[in-house]
This record gives sequence, C-alpha cells and structure tokens, in this order.
Amino acid sequence: MKTGDTAIERKGKKEKETVSEERQQNSDAYGVEEITILEGLEAVRKRPAMYIGSTGAAGLHHLVFEVVDNSIDEALAGFCTKVEVIIHVDNSVTVIDNGRGIPTEMHPEKKMSAAEVVMTILHAGGKFNNKAYKVSGGLHGVGVSVVNALSELLELEIKRNGGVFQQEYKRGKPVAPLEETGKTKKCGTKITFKPDKDIFEATEYSFDVLAQRLRELAFLNKGLEITLEDERTEKKQEFCYKGGIVSFVEHLNRNKEPIHKPVSISDERKGIMLEIALQYNESYAENIFSFANNINTVDGGTHLSGFKTGLTRVVNSYAIKNGFIKSDKESLTGDDVREGLTAVISIKLSNPQFEGQTKAKLGNSEVKGIVETAVNEKLSGFFEEHPPIARKIAEKSITAARAREAARKAKELTRRKNALDISSLPGKLADCAERDPALSEIYIVEGDSAGGSAKQGRDRRNQAILPLKGKILNVEKARFDKMLSSDEIKTLITALGTGIGKEDFDAGKSRYHKIVIMTDADVDGAHIRTLLLTFFYRQMAALIERGYIYIAQPPLFRVKKGKAERYIKDEKGLQEYLIDLTADGIEAKSKEAKTYISGDKLNNILKRLISFELLLTRFSHRKIDSDIIRALALEEEFDKSILKNKARLQKTVNDVKNLFAEEHPDISLKIDIEEDEEHKAYKAVCEIKRDGSKAEAVIDEELVTSPEFKEVRSQSPVLTGLGAPPYKVRKKDGSEKVLNTTTALIDYILQAAKEGLSIQRYKGLGEMNPVQLWETTMDPEKRSFLQVKIEDIVAADEIFTVLMGDQVEPRREFIQQHALEVTNLDI
Amino acid sequence: MKVKCPICKKETEWEENEFRPFCSERCKLIDLGKWASEEYRIAGKKDEEDKKKEEE
Repeated sequence: MKTGDTAIERKGKKEKETVSEERQQNSDAYGVEEITILEGLEAVRKRPAMYIGSTGAAGLHHLVFEVVDNSIDEALAGFCTKVEVIIHVDNSVTVIDNGRGIPTEMHPEKKMSAAEVVMTILHAGGKFNNKAYKVSGGLHGVGVSVVNALSELLELEIKRNGGVFQQEYKRGKPVAPLEETGKTKKCGTKITFKPDKDIFEATEYSFDVLAQRLRELAFLNKGLEITLEDERTEKKQEFCYKGGIVSFVEHLNRNKEPIHKPVSISDERKGIMLEIALQYNESYAENIFSFANNINTVDGGTHLSGFKTGLTRVVNSYAIKNGFIKSDKESLTGDDVREGLTAVISIKLSNPQFEGQTKAKLGNSEVKGIVETAVNEKLSGFFEEHPPIARKIAEKSITAARAREAARKAKELTRRKNALDISSLPGKLADCAERDPALSEIYIVEGDSAGGSAKQGRDRRNQAILPLKGKILNVEKARFDKMLSSDEIKTLITALGTGIGKEDFDAGKSRYHKIVIMTDADVDGAHIRTLLLTFFYRQMAALIERGYIYIAQPPLFRVKKGKAERYIKDEKGLQEYLIDLTADGIEAKSKEAKTYISGDKLNNILKRLISFELLLTRFSHRKIDSDIIRALALEEEFDKSILKNKARLQKTVNDVKNLFAEEHPDISLKIDIEEDEEHKAYKAVCEIKRDGSKAEAVIDEELVTSPEFKEVRSQSPVLTGLGAPPYKVRKKDGSEKVLNTTTALIDYILQAAKEGLSIQRYKGLGEMNPVQLWETTMDPEKRSFLQVKIEDIVAADEIFTVLMGDQVEPRREFIQQHALEVTNLDI
Repeated sequence: MKVKCPICKKETEWEENEFRPFCSERCKLIDLGKWASEEYRIAGKKDEEDKKKEEE
C-alpha cells in the first residue's frame, strides 16, 4: 500500500542514475508528513459516479483496481513483489501485498494515524505531491478512501516496523482508532472490503473482468506476481510475466500467426521511461495498446502518436535505404506500416495529464517528441541489427501499400455516380427490345467485325450484342499480352446492370439471364474467354451460380458436299465426320492379320485411333518425346512387370527402336538399359538426336504407371483390335495399299474422305456472314451453348492465377509444363 | 466446397461466404483493383503469325 519513505527528488541527481537506485537511496524521505489532505469524504457517498464512473458493474470492479493500484505503486517503487486478490463468497474482496505497509504514525495536522488519513480523507496520498512516488498509477487518483466510503465494511491490517496494526470501518467511518494487535517480522498491507449494496446496483464480482485487468498489470510490471482467487468457485489464477510487455504482445498474438519474434525497445530520457514491444502477424488488423503509468489509455494520446510517427518514419527510411521502394514514387503511410501490427507501448512519467471524457487519453505534449525520437533511434538500431525481421516488416508494409493502391483503383472504377449507368453506353451496346431479363440474352462478342455480323444476324427482339475488344499489349519485341482494358470492364458491368463490389453488386439486377461469351475459336479468342470467365468467377460468382453464364460454340469448319452444307465445331468433330463418310467404302487391317476390319467396327476403331493421336500430341509427362510414347503404347504387352525383367525390356526397347526408325528415319535414337534401384527394376534411358540437338528421356516405373500414359495406352490400336502397324487398306474398287504408321493410316483415310468435299476453316467469327452466324451459333433452335458451372472454374482459376501472374518467366514455364491442363481450361 | 483464395491463396469456404471465391473483402477488392489497373494479362505467343495478326 501507499506507504513511506521514497520521495524521489531528481533535481541535482546525476542523469545516469536509474530511478530505482534513486528510490532506494532516498527511501526515508517520504513519511507521515508527506500525506497531504485535500478534501473530505462526504461527497463520495452522495455522488459516487463522479468518483468511480458508475455504480454499475464497471464501478464495482473499479473499487478492486483502486486498491490494487496502491499495491502496484509499491511495486513500481521497488518494495512489493506480490499482490493477492481474493473474492470471498459474500462478494467482499481482499487485497494483500508485501509492500512496506501504510504508515501508522500519527499525522501531525489531523491528530489521527496516517493510515486513517489515507482511508478517510479524499485525495490523500503520496502520489499527489509527486515526491513519494516518482510515478504512480491509481486510476484517476481518487484513492482508497473512496473505496472505504463506498464499502459497508472495510478491514485494514498493516504489518510495519515489527508490529501488526488493525482498524475497521463502516461506510467510511472508523469503528475505533488504529490499534497495534501483535508483533511480526513481515511487512505489507491487507485490505478487505465489502461494497455497499445501498450504493451499487449489483454487487456480484466477475472473475474474468478482474482477471483481465490483473493480467494486464502483471504484463506491465515485469516479474510482479499477482494472484486471483475466487472462493465462490475455488478458481485460482496466477499472473507473472518475466517478459513483461513482450509477453503481453505474445499473449495478444496467441491466436494469430506472427511473422517474426517480438521486437522490444526501451529507453529513458527526460524523466520518461518508455517500453515498447511489437510483433507483426499475418492478419491485417492493427492492435495497439498504450499505457501511461499502467493506465490503459484507450483513447491513445501523445505517447501513441509519437510512436506512430516514429514507426512510420523508421519503416519508410529502412524500405528506401534497402531499395524496397523508391523514395520519390511510393511511400508507406501510417496505415500501411501498422497493418497486422500488434504493439504495446508503456510509458511511466511523473505527472501524467489525462484528457477526454473518460480520461483515457494522455495529454502531456512533451511526450510526443520524446517517444518519437526514442523510436527513431532505437527501432532503426534494431532494424540494422536484425535485417531478416526488418525485411519482413518492410515487405508486409509494402504489400499493404499495394492493397491500398488496388482498392483505390477499384473505387475509381465506380467513382462517378453515373459511370455505370446504362445510358452512358451509346453505340457500344446493341440492346434488345425485350425488357424481361428472364427472356433476354446478351452476347459478349470479341472484335468489331464479329460484333457487326452478330448485330445484323441476331434476333433483336431478345438478343443484345456487346462487342468487346481484348486489348493487346506489346510487351517485348515479339510478344503480345492479352488483357481486358478497364474501359471494357466498365462497359461490361454497365451493360449487365449488376453493379460491382461489395456495396453495389447484385446478381438479381442482371439485365439478362443468358450471358453468352462468343469468341473466335483461336488462341486469341480463348484468351479473351479465359479473361472474361475469370472476371465473372471472381467478381460476379453469383451469376455463374445462377447459371447465367454460357459459352457459345461457333463452328470451326464448314463442309460442303454437293449442295449439302454442314458446320462442325472442332478438329476432332471434323475427323469423326470424315471417318463416318469413308468407313463404308474402306477396309483395313494390320498387315499380319488374316481378315480385314470394316463397317461400324472399323469406324469405332478409327475414332479411337484419332483420340490416341490427340492424346499423344498432348502428352506432357516429363517432356518425353511423344514418338517414344507411341512406340511404347504400340507394344503388344507393356506394363511395369516388363521393367523387372531385363531381357524382356531389352526386347521391348528393340521394338521401340524399330518402330521409331519407321516413323522417323532421320532421327537417331539410342537407348541404354540401366538399373533402377528405387524400384528394384530396370529403366531405359533414351537419347534422341535430331538436327544436331540432343534430348534425353527415361522410361521407368513412374512413367509407365502415370495416369497419362495409361490413358494413351488404353486407346492404343493394339488394344482396340486393329493391331500394330504396318497396316493394309483396301478400297471398294479392290485397290490395296500398305501404310507403315498409324499417322499414315489416318492421313490416308481422311484424305480419301475429303475427295469431293469442300472444307472451309473459319479463322474467326468475322468470317461468317450474319446469316451463317445466326444459323450456327445464335439460333435457339440449332445452337448449342455450354453452361458454365462453378465446379468447372474452381480448378481452372488456380491456373489462371499463374497465367496472369506478374512474373513472366515462371508463368511461361508453367504454361509449358501444364500444356494439357491449359488446353482443358479453354473449355 | 473449399477453394483457394485467388489473392492470398488461403483455403476458403465457398458456401455462405459473401466474398467467395476470396477469403475476405480485402482480397476481393485487391482483385478488382487489379482488373481496374489492367494488371491481368495472358502472355501471348512469341510467334510471327501472332504478330502479323495483331498488326493487321
């Protein structure tokens, strides 16, 4: 408790002495005469809220903190190491400390013991003359006398100077003078009080509320042991933190993901002691606690603003000095550098001024500059010594700055009030007459010429056309990146009428329930489509969920046979069509086989052979030459058991070499068999030389068991019944021909089918006239749309992410490695 | 259904997530900002035919 003998008179002291040394050297300078008397207690019971804030739960708990704060002052002065708080069954509370004990001597003016002065006279206490305690907490300095005034019973026990002293009060009035009741070698103060139920609305104490503040006090007073015991529930908790506010920061971050070890700095200058601990976590929230003399300054104040200014400057100068940002272009704002920051600032000073309605803001103007300077010096020093932590903090702040910039640009997109108003789209959108969204369709068409055809060909009653142009960017000399310009995005949002962003987007406002992406069937078209789908998925997912997004399927070929016309949507479709045309007139077999295959059976086999070739062209497993895969797939028997048998593998390898030579007489292939220790088997190492360049590939268990290889193998002609090449074909007229390879067989058959046909390949939608576009792609009677489903896009989006990444090199590598998936993602 | 947030790559719930496929309003806003500032591009091919086509 507030006691004795430590007036700290700094004047004339050498600067380098620490406060605690001073305290000890002057430990006899604060005695009974230091207790000053300001005011009586009568007013307290009349208007309790004026003194403790309220007579509700907050005020009730305040009583405990007021008493505990006196013990903390003893701890700050270096005389108390332990504080116990006990909640009794009747909701009375005991606070015990092992400080020096309240002075028991007679007060010269008041003719009563000093203890009684402290207990009965408002604003009596060592902290008001600034001598007894260099720094002092005490919530708002009303003192323990207020607690006494508002308690129906208060018992005081002091151990001091070898004696035990006791006194009892009822509603602030002493029952008898302070009495010495025994002897002891210990010292300390024990106060038990029972809040007056005439004053307080409720007198039930909350363990958690007390625990929270006591834990906070334990953090702020490194090493001080505080216990809280609840006799109502036998719950007990002990708070003691050797790490002080560093432990506090770790506690605050306990459920977060910190990105570095806590940083701690401390300083003392111009009579102010400063401690700061900080640690960034993965979140974006800022969580800063500031304290002045243990009081939680919820509304901040000069110490907090000094810290913020200092931190912003230190992080900025570190980022500039180390080339993270260019000083003239970017700078990190205070919000940037505080994103994900958890920090505790604790200062101790001799005459804190608290401002604001709740007195929870520090007002001392000199503090700002002092804290700022201290942070500047100490934190930049720390950064110099700990580059990995400094770098992480700088990077985190830069990410925050980029996010801020992105958010600003996103807002710009919708900034002008009428920017997204449909009337701002003259000329671009050819709207339909229909006003019921459920019956309306919009075609998002790539390119102006296709847009023109679509506008002429459409059914203007319910089909709207929006031509969009993918913007092309000349990135390098011969590389052109595709993107959607922000104007195009704006146009799109406007035309759909959905709005964009958290506040505005509403799928229910979509002006069309069929939103059809119609792009060319080439790479450019695929890219524009990919961009549009990604945009819908990310920013308008609800449209996809509602099933509003479709992909049109314009044909790639027009086939004319005599007067009959036919549109075919892709390469595979064309080949199948051609096979259907010819299979009637042709028979085929493996050269060694006895009987020819014909009719539907041949038809089916040839279609699978086409799949086989297609799979081979897409084979991307470890970049093995597809012709080696072809040769392997054409083996009669081939699975991983062959890899266990060197002789069989050798025989297979010989076959592969022969087949390969058949397909590519000009390429040299060398295959060595080596042991594969990992699988207790053998592997074949192939070396291919062509045009002077050399490539290596390995046939091993990993390859043979890969799903990709199994898929190819399943379509192999040796398994579909045709057998291995060479092949023999016979036309209806009886003419026969021998073909050495699978590709030669397909080419021969397709070539035969093409006789008498005219095949037109559309390079773009623009090549179709309005009537053709209507008939093939837009006419509800004939068209086929693909409806886009969320599930289709989820996996694809991860690939988009890489496709659209900032870095070009990894992206290019990725595209090469995932050629297969990228093909699939183009739906 | 769980998806990866396109911006921060965090595993994210799809259902009852206002910001799907993103983990948060922030990530979604960053993405929109990237569209607005034309940062999303698909690399074109380094090939002559492509170049010719664009020049037309």
